[in-house]
Amino acid sequence: MKERSVFASSLCKEYRIGDFVIEALKDLDLEVIKGEFVSIYGPSGAGKTTLLNLIGGLDKPTSGKIIVFGHDVNTYDEDFLATFRSTNIGFVFQSYNLISTLTALENVAFPTELAGWSGERAQKRAKGLLKLVGLLHRADHLPAQISGGEQQRVAFARALANNPPLILVDEPTGNLDTETGLEIVRILEKLKAKGKTIIAATHDERIMGLANRTLHMRNGRIVTANE
Amino acid sequence: MSDLGFPIKDLARRKFQTSLTIIGLTLSTAITVFLVTFGESLGFHVSLITGGKLTTGFSYVFSLFIVIVGILNFLAGVLVTSFLVSTNMHERIQDIGIMKATGCQANSALSYFFTELSIMVFTSCTAGTLLGILARFVCINVLNALGFSIPQKPINLWVVFLIFVAFILAAHILGARPIMKAIKVKPAEALSPLFSLGLITAPKGPTSSKLGFNFKVAYRSIMRRKSATYQAIICLSVVLTLTTVAIAGGMIANQTTQNYVERAICRDAVLIAHPDVKRQYENFLSQFFEAKQPEKINYIDPRYNISEPLISSLRTVQGVRRVDPRFVLETTIKEVPGIIVNPEEPEQPYTIIGDNRYSEALIVGINLEGVINDWLIEGRVLNNTDMYSVLIGDTLAYQNFDNAQKQSALIFNKKFEIAGVCLDPLNNGDVVYMPIKALYESTERSGYNLLLLKIDPLNYSKTITEIKDKISGTDLEISELNLILDKHLNFLNRVWSLIMALPLFSLATATLSLLSYMMLSIAGQQRELGIMRALGAKPRTIVKTIFLQAFLIVLASGAIGISVGFAITWLFLIPEAVVSFLTLTTIMGWLLLAIVIISLTSLYPAVRTTKKSIAQIIS
Repeated sequence: MKERSVFASSLCKEYRIGDFVIEALKDLDLEVIKGEFVSIYGPSGAGKTTLLNLIGGLDKPTSGKIIVFGHDVNTYDEDFLATFRSTNIGFVFQSYNLISTLTALENVAFPTELAGWSGERAQKRAKGLLKLVGLLHRADHLPAQISGGEQQRVAFARALANNPPLILVDEPTGNLDTETGLEIVRILEKLKAKGKTIIAATHDERIMGLANRTLHMRNGRIVTANE
Repeated sequence: MSDLGFPIKDLARRKFQTSLTIIGLTLSTAITVFLVTFGESLGFHVSLITGGKLTTGFSYVFSLFIVIVGILNFLAGVLVTSFLVSTNMHERIQDIGIMKATGCQANSALSYFFTELSIMVFTSCTAGTLLGILARFVCINVLNALGFSIPQKPINLWVVFLIFVAFILAAHILGARPIMKAIKVKPAEALSPLFSLGLITAPKGPTSSKLGFNFKVAYRSIMRRKSATYQAIICLSVVLTLTTVAIAGGMIANQTTQNYVERAICRDAVLIAHPDVKRQYENFLSQFFEAKQPEKINYIDPRYNISEPLISSLRTVQGVRRVDPRFVLETTIKEVPGIIVNPEEPEQPYTIIGDNRYSEALIVGINLEGVINDWLIEGRVLNNTDMYSVLIGDTLAYQNFDNAQKQSALIFNKKFEIAGVCLDPLNNGDVVYMPIKALYESTERSGYNLLLLKIDPLNYSKTITEIKDKISGTDLEISELNLILDKHLNFLNRVWSLIMALPLFSLATATLSLLSYMMLSIAGQQRELGIMRALGAKPRTIVKTIFLQAFLIVLASGAIGISVGFAITWLFLIPEAVVSFLTLTTIMGWLLLAIVIISLTSLYPAVRTTKKSIAQIIS
């Protein structure tokens, strides 16, 4: 039997704005097995980012169950979830989300320092990851001093810092031109080859082409799935 | 909707920030109005609170203290007000960018945010002024109920108006700066976080700080918004200078003035005299803390004489350390103008100083070798070769002479050189000490009408009993000066505690300033704090990082403020301070507590930010 990385059952998420209730996810079921690359596409507001946030423990579902590596993430407190995220999940956001006051090297070293690594060890690991994404020469630059594509590659390096088994990627090429986006596709290809479980919300056909499975989301539901 | 409708609605929407600014501004204005108006009664005319009881020397220390604290408080008030408004408006830069991006004219955006600024400033300054006046009224009534005598005189409306206008102007001028700055930039720039954060150069701070990961993040965060950080540091430095002057200056001044009083009156001393003279002398000593009209008595009445055999007999009592027989009486002392020679100015080789002022004073004839007081603040002590030299009290010196030591005094129609000035609570400093031989010669009298004995504190009770035995059967009575001395010290303590407590209210505004700065700082870092949490930072790591930011700012402000505060205290307030190690430790303890309390306020916004959903923050 194949090992499950992510399992979601009857997952619902509602946002309340004044008297309005927005249903971002409606009775969603999902299973992702270890080492699988799943891509999700759908229009804006379909619930892709909400789903990634719930898998990553960044938000709590209104109802339903979500189990990641055997942990029901909805039941844990913020301290546990922080450690859980740090060791099990690597995030890559559409808007890069690098910490603006830290250099590229420090951004990549950040998750390992949070995990308690010594500064020297964390830096060594960060340099290795920057080399992997081809940005070692940008190690001492601030996010504002490097291009969007480079920032996204730094974000990938950071996501890999603690060698997490699950990578959550939200529109990684959404803000990049075609050529720069190709570099990101290549990184994802490498990660897939390393056996990482990847869930990527994307409209980039090159990324969807890499995926084992592509899910189509609309109005908070998975409407079709292509293998 | 009216022109005011939108700004009011917008302010109401941002409840926390608006309330913080309005409360901070109101408190800052109220405290300044209160301190300046109350200071009029308290400090600038310090005699009002003490009912004219203090000597001139003491009044000078008190008044100087209040003047320095008053100036610092006003400065702190204006700075805090400007800072609060400025940080509030700084947060609106992005909103201005959005308004301009959606087609709003620059002038409309300008008038919109100016209206918001004016609403906050006028509301707070008006509320603060009224609150300050009310606080003064309440405080005077409470203090009067506690035994002080402060008149509820009409408030100086000009002073209040000036403070009101100064605060309104300062808040508008400094609050308008970020608005004008934002109006001038292009919408795209205003919307970019890089505009407000100014992140275009690599950090100069420690890249891998040995002080730890949290320190690195905290340090970088405060250094990226240098302008606001420097404003916060300047603001807190002034408030901490004020706090230091209030705490350190107050405690040192208290200890110094108490020390002067203790040395002037002398601890473990007793007074022996005829009941009339004893009562009179006690009255003279007590004028420092309770004004009583001295009686008219004939000091040369033979009944008041203390015989030589009795004095000799008291010298033999084992616990008596020193015997200080005196002859006291009251007379008029006249100022004699003095001449100051100016050898370096041939055109005006000398200057005449002084006038012909005169005053009633208590004259004390002393045996130079037996004096138990140690109260000299200027000049020299009298020695055995001095016949026509005197020491005079501080009130006499400062009110009746231009430069006492360069002038002379005319007493009993004889000219006396003024050798020194002593800080003496006796007759509120209207006192002259002269060699007893000179007094005998001038009055053609002899003998003593008053005796002071310094007692061994280890055998105090036993010695007092022996003394009482010795004087039993005579007309003389004994009075323990410790009782009067303790009343002096309590009085000084009460006055200083009251004065010291007033500027401490400013700490409340300092706390609000830091809170406001931290709100601005956290608002700017909100997204990054969310990212940190998404990457695995625990809530306590976030709180620790934010607390460190606040602590670094307070520490920097503390280093500046406390140093300047101590410098002001030592250089201007009390140049010849008497400070014990215990006092210094207590001062440092209080200042440390103030720093910790101010820093701890940052915990509130820090904890508040960790309660927000990460997904909402970073989406």
